[in-house]
Amino acid sequence: MGRQIYEAVVDGILVGGVYGLMAVGLTLIFGVLDIINIAQGILVILGAYLSYALSVHLHIDLFLGLLLTVPAMFVIGVAIYWAFMRPLRGRERTSMSLLASYAVAIIIEGILYWIFSPNYVQLNAWYVISSVRVFGFYLPYIYLFGFALAVALVVVLYMILYRTRFGRSVRATMQDQTASRLIGIDVNRVAAVTFGIGVAVTAVGGMVYGATSGGFNPNSGYDLISRLLAIIILGGLGSIGGALAAAVFMITLESLVSIWSPNWAIVVFYAALVLVLTVRPSGLFGRQGVRLQ
Amino acid sequence: MHPTRDQAPGGPPAGASHDPALVIEGLVCGYGGGDVLHDVSLSVPAGAITCVVGPNGAGKSTLLATISGLLRPKRGTIKLHGESLAGKSPRQILDMGLVHVQQNHSLFRDMTVRENVELGGYILRDHALLLRRRGYVEEMFPQVAQWAGQKAGSLSGGQQRLVEFARCLMLDPSLVLLDEPSMGLSPKVLRTVFDAARLMNAQGKTILLVEQNARAGLRLSAHGIVLENGRVRLTGSGREILEHPEIGALYLGGAVTRASGPAPGDGGGAPGAAH
Repeated sequence: MGRQIYEAVVDGILVGGVYGLMAVGLTLIFGVLDIINIAQGILVILGAYLSYALSVHLHIDLFLGLLLTVPAMFVIGVAIYWAFMRPLRGRERTSMSLLASYAVAIIIEGILYWIFSPNYVQLNAWYVISSVRVFGFYLPYIYLFGFALAVALVVVLYMILYRTRFGRSVRATMQDQTASRLIGIDVNRVAAVTFGIGVAVTAVGGMVYGATSGGFNPNSGYDLISRLLAIIILGGLGSIGGALAAAVFMITLESLVSIWSPNWAIVVFYAALVLVLTVRPSGLFGRQGVRLQ
Repeated sequence: MHPTRDQAPGGPPAGASHDPALVIEGLVCGYGGGDVLHDVSLSVPAGAITCVVGPNGAGKSTLLATISGLLRPKRGTIKLHGESLAGKSPRQILDMGLVHVQQNHSLFRDMTVRENVELGGYILRDHALLLRRRGYVEEMFPQVAQWAGQKAGSLSGGQQRLVEFARCLMLDPSLVLLDEPSMGLSPKVLRTVFDAARLMNAQGKTILLVEQNARAGLRLSAHGIVLENGRVRLTGSGREILEHPEIGALYLGGAVTRASGPAPGDGGGAPGAAH
């Protein structure tokens, strides 16, 4: 039993790190644009299918393929912003964004069904199949590689936000759009690039998800988006550190409950969300707390 | 009593021998629904402090937002040192030397004071210039340098105002728009903040401020403009408006007790309030 718990915790942290990266993209988009991107789940799946296409048809290694899929998802993100999100203005922006991004999700889902059929596929590579003994038990390499890459990318995102001129403009826009415009920040450009970055991370999330989830199809985006939404709400909307902490917490919790009953795992996931929000309505690191830390 | 509208377009501004810094003619502006500004014409003399007063909803903040490019006017022209601002973005207007300090809480609260000040020079690509300007600004406001490492949100209202002033000076602007600098401040703190505005003015910055606290604002200013229902009701020297009986009763809370007399430094061509 103790051993199972230990394994569940390690598993939860490793998978949680990857969910954290996907959630960071989602919460960054909300923080800067006040937009909830419901399409984030299907975009992860799109990222997974891009990796799938590259590895099956062009025999490009999954990690190497990210050099193509990450920029591709960035461009897709910017395009979605310009076509669907930029026209949303005013007070209803957030609620309208739910509808607009849901439409985007349905469109992408339809295209994926059309191209790839509803059959489940999985990403494969030697590091998906072979395992290595770490922390006292066997794990496929992909869990370690995926976690390492997710952590590295979060660090990169953090450095961009806190060490670059562009990052400063993003943080300024998150805090006060009008004040940002008045010091000469082009908030439309910041919004487009931020949306692009928020979507680009789904390429990485999708690749790792596609290799570790035991199969996905175009319908898998819904399960993902509901988890990601729960994670960013728990972490406090707009908080990057919160999204990371909540991702690791939630996935670990789910993985722990699965020892006892896999059916209850997902229930506990949302029960924990409700419970935490009852005590702290703004999430663990909500707006009243320290944002972005 | 015939309150005069603004002086004839292009006419000599009150108390300034040279060209005005800012000239506005026939400005109409609003937010979607109705117009907030109806045919506003005014000019802001270079090198002086000009104060716009008027009741709530007169369109004072809208006026500033339109000048700085946050809002697009429906009609009318705005010229800064003779150059039209039509169709220019806030960024382009900053490049032309006009900065706008918003009403209350425009600092980035989760950032340090130093980051805030440096963000004032966001559009400067030359890092050496940015550092030089920061040095100049911190010399002008030594307190701001002392608070450098603190989160802007942890400062008091008056302290935040000083940081906002410091931030806006990073671009070495020729014209500074101040929206309600007195808002929420105690009389003592207000004096410090107005002293800082005077200091900016002494450094050669033309200032256009909007004030709910009309009496304090007009005392600070060489020139006054009364805005009412989106129209210019009256212009003149700060003192003339302060002492104007009707205006005094309406906006200043009763007659002004100060002895009337010719406003110093306001000779020649002072239009507006008739006596």
